[in-house]
Amino acid sequence: MSAIRFETVTKRFGETVAVRALDLAVEKGEFFSLLGPSGCGKTTTLRMVAGFEQPSEGRIYLDGEPVETVPPYKRHVNTVFQSYALFEHLSVEDNVAFGLKRQKVPRGEIRTRVAEALELVELRGREKARPRELSGGQKQRVALARALENRPSVLLLDEPLGALDLQLRKQMQVELKGIQREVGITFLYVTHDQEEALAMSDRIAVMEDGEVMQCGSPEEIYEQPSGPFVAGFIGISNLLSGVVDNGGVKLASGVTCAAELPGDCAQGSEVHVSVRPEKIWLDELQEGMVSVEGTVVERVYVGTTTQVIVELAPGMRLTALEQNTARARSDDRWEIGDRVRLGWHPEHARVLR
Amino acid sequence: MSTVESRPGAPRPPAAVTREPAAEKPAKPFDRPRFLKLFIGLFFLFSFAPIVLVVLFSFNSSRSLQDFQGFSVRWYETFFESESLRDSLLASVQIALVTMLIATLIGTLLAYGLVRARTRASGALNILMLVPLVTPEIVAGASALLLFTQIGFELSLTTIMLAHITFSISYVTVVVRARLAAISRDVEDAAMDLGATRLATFRLVTLPALWPAILAAGLLVFALSFDDFVLSFFTTGESPQPLPVRIWTQIRFGVRPTINAIGTFMLVVSIVTIGLALLLPRLLGRRESGLKVLLGREGA
Amino acid sequence: MTENRFAATFLVPGGLWLLLLFVVPLLCLLAISFGYTDDLGEAVYGTRLDNYDRLLDPDYLPVLFRSVGFALATVVLCLLIGYPVAYYIAIFGGRWKTVLLALVVLPFFVNYLIRTYAWIAMLGDDGLVNGVLDTDLRFLNTPYAVIAGLVYGFLTFMILPIYAALDRMDPWLIEAGKDLYGSPWQTFRNVTLPHTIQGVLAGSVLVFLPAVGDFVSASLLGGPSEVMVGNLIQQQFQASDNWPFGAALTVAMMAFLMIWMVLYLRAAARETRGAEA
Repeated sequence: MSAIRFETVTKRFGETVAVRALDLAVEKGEFFSLLGPSGCGKTTTLRMVAGFEQPSEGRIYLDGEPVETVPPYKRHVNTVFQSYALFEHLSVEDNVAFGLKRQKVPRGEIRTRVAEALELVELRGREKARPRELSGGQKQRVALARALENRPSVLLLDEPLGALDLQLRKQMQVELKGIQREVGITFLYVTHDQEEALAMSDRIAVMEDGEVMQCGSPEEIYEQPSGPFVAGFIGISNLLSGVVDNGGVKLASGVTCAAELPGDCAQGSEVHVSVRPEKIWLDELQEGMVSVEGTVVERVYVGTTTQVIVELAPGMRLTALEQNTARARSDDRWEIGDRVRLGWHPEHARVLR
Repeated sequence: MSTVESRPGAPRPPAAVTREPAAEKPAKPFDRPRFLKLFIGLFFLFSFAPIVLVVLFSFNSSRSLQDFQGFSVRWYETFFESESLRDSLLASVQIALVTMLIATLIGTLLAYGLVRARTRASGALNILMLVPLVTPEIVAGASALLLFTQIGFELSLTTIMLAHITFSISYVTVVVRARLAAISRDVEDAAMDLGATRLATFRLVTLPALWPAILAAGLLVFALSFDDFVLSFFTTGESPQPLPVRIWTQIRFGVRPTINAIGTFMLVVSIVTIGLALLLPRLLGRRESGLKVLLGREGA
Repeated sequence: MTENRFAATFLVPGGLWLLLLFVVPLLCLLAISFGYTDDLGEAVYGTRLDNYDRLLDPDYLPVLFRSVGFALATVVLCLLIGYPVAYYIAIFGGRWKTVLLALVVLPFFVNYLIRTYAWIAMLGDDGLVNGVLDTDLRFLNTPYAVIAGLVYGFLTFMILPIYAALDRMDPWLIEAGKDLYGSPWQTFRNVTLPHTIQGVLAGSVLVFLPAVGDFVSASLLGGPSEVMVGNLIQQQFQASDNWPFGAALTVAMMAFLMIWMVLYLRAAARETRGAEA
């Protein structure tokens, strides 16, 4: 039995359709992410699970039970909000204890459990502080502790790390993952940051315009994107348009490259070829690789790697990645304007329609 | 002597200006600040002269309004020793207190409904709420008088209270609504998420966040009610009559020095009330001043 | 209970109260304006237009015009006095802006009656001015005294909106204007004034509306030839006991004021739409 199941769920706000015929199942103990750009419907989906919105069509099941008649305060789910939504007039411990007091848990037990929760999020010692005295990261931990305290069967997180700076975000990602593993609760996580989703999730659902484009593990989503949108949203996609030609793909630049075609690609049909940048080799190619030629138009240094952007033909560009190890320093090798050869193994190219 | 402030962080003027504004101060259309300063000085003089007069002569030992003959509190004694005037003072306070309590209650509820509920009636109710604010008091007074007489309700302190409450609700709603709109929906959602029913959420989360606005609005209503004349004039019974109505009668009968004392006293009450409205939120632990709360500019 | 229904119940007390104690009385007022007084002096509902006809009597029509005239004079004077004050505080106030504003508002904590009474104390035959100057000048019971009382009573309502508009304006606009237009007056007319017109309109409405219906100033500072519509209304309801006629006067006044209110709201809305464009 899944922790959450969506059965053809649609949500309309007046004329706009926010979520379209969603069919999804989140398993118990999973770290499941809803990933997509703003407006794709991921937050609306989360709010429907929490009970703040009702589906226009379809049903949602929590632990096998339908929940359309269950108000938010009776559902065994808890939410961590992007804005933290802490109660400003209460102290940290009163914030964390809020849910427990609603459940009429005895005072002594509340005290112990609050202490445990604060221990878990490493905020011991700040019990009496007010939210306005805390930093963003600390507020986030209080929000997390407050939600976890209730021992929900599912924890909903709505872009909780959005307002934090990069270092803190990376750190919190690791911590959250650790907490999830330790506590074992199902996490439904909403984000627009694909790196975050890839790093933390067991499974990801990529959404666009109210629909799930692809659902799978991080590796599947990254290495085997099902379509141009997913390929483009996750990482750099290097989409090249072309036409199926004799078992290969003839690119717009004229070159034909070998590629694995999906089953039903007829001769002449229009497709895209996508190659991940780290799979592209520059100049020193191996046997059996597809190879194309182009001119270096840009070099972008990003610390660990250098992106080399090569133009094959007007409007057709590929980004290749070179690691900045001591051995291969690309700023020694490729200047803007140089002609280079790019290559990749045919199995690393995805053909998408 | 210059009172002009330079603005170091201000953006450079648009391209049309070719001169170097460097050490230049912002232009003044009158280009003669001294004239303006004189004007302002005269303005404040005329603005305060009557009030200073009233306050000063309330301590005059003689009944003359032309020369000050010595310091005395006799007019205050006359005021407080007069039983009927004391009754009027008490009546004014009673009316203001009841108005404050009921108008604040109803106005707060109305504000919550207008912000959180999406009904077809909301638009109409919003306009209905705003109309009393622009209705001339004489219209309000006449219609109230008409209503009470039609239904046979004898004029008394109660009728005054009813009329005051009707016209105070809008002030409360406007102030509370501004504050409520600034409170994020998320916080109420979070409370429900954690197990609080809608009513419990309102009680435990919304109200505590709202109370500075409620307090400020309440004190505002108190001051307005205490000072009100026209509405009270139309809806008052024989006795006791609120203080402003008594002042009217006294003035009609000629200029009396006791009026100075009453006026000064009412001035102090108003200042204290508004002062409390501005200071209490800060004193009771909130960072924002009451002024910002009243103007709806308090942060979430 | 869904959220909407929960919040909607909060609307009931306020809605009911305003309906019963605000709307209904106004409707009664409208209704009785078509009525008459019977032999016992009681107001009776009817369907006559007599009361509205009476408005056009030579006894009453001048009063209506006078009220509008006084109110207009009040608005003009408040503008002439209030604009410079607001200008000074907004542009030259600097650190003292809040203090100056507080000083502007402070006199208004004194009861309106007391403030008007203070003018009697100053300008009356036995008042301070006559005493100090040892003269026998007649200030009161003139239209000037009434208008002065009105101006004094409502000046703050003109100053505050204009101040708000001036405060919102970027002072560099004036600087730029000074370069574009030679004289300071031109700068004012072409730059400052258009930018603050919303404040001017708001202030004018806030002064005009209550001034038309005021009866305190005319009563205390004026004589029989300064009677305003507010006095008439008050008399009908209290002294003469002719409520239907009083109601007609009130309705006529309200209708007149509503026209200006609607015009103002349209102008304000157009301005906001223009600003957003």
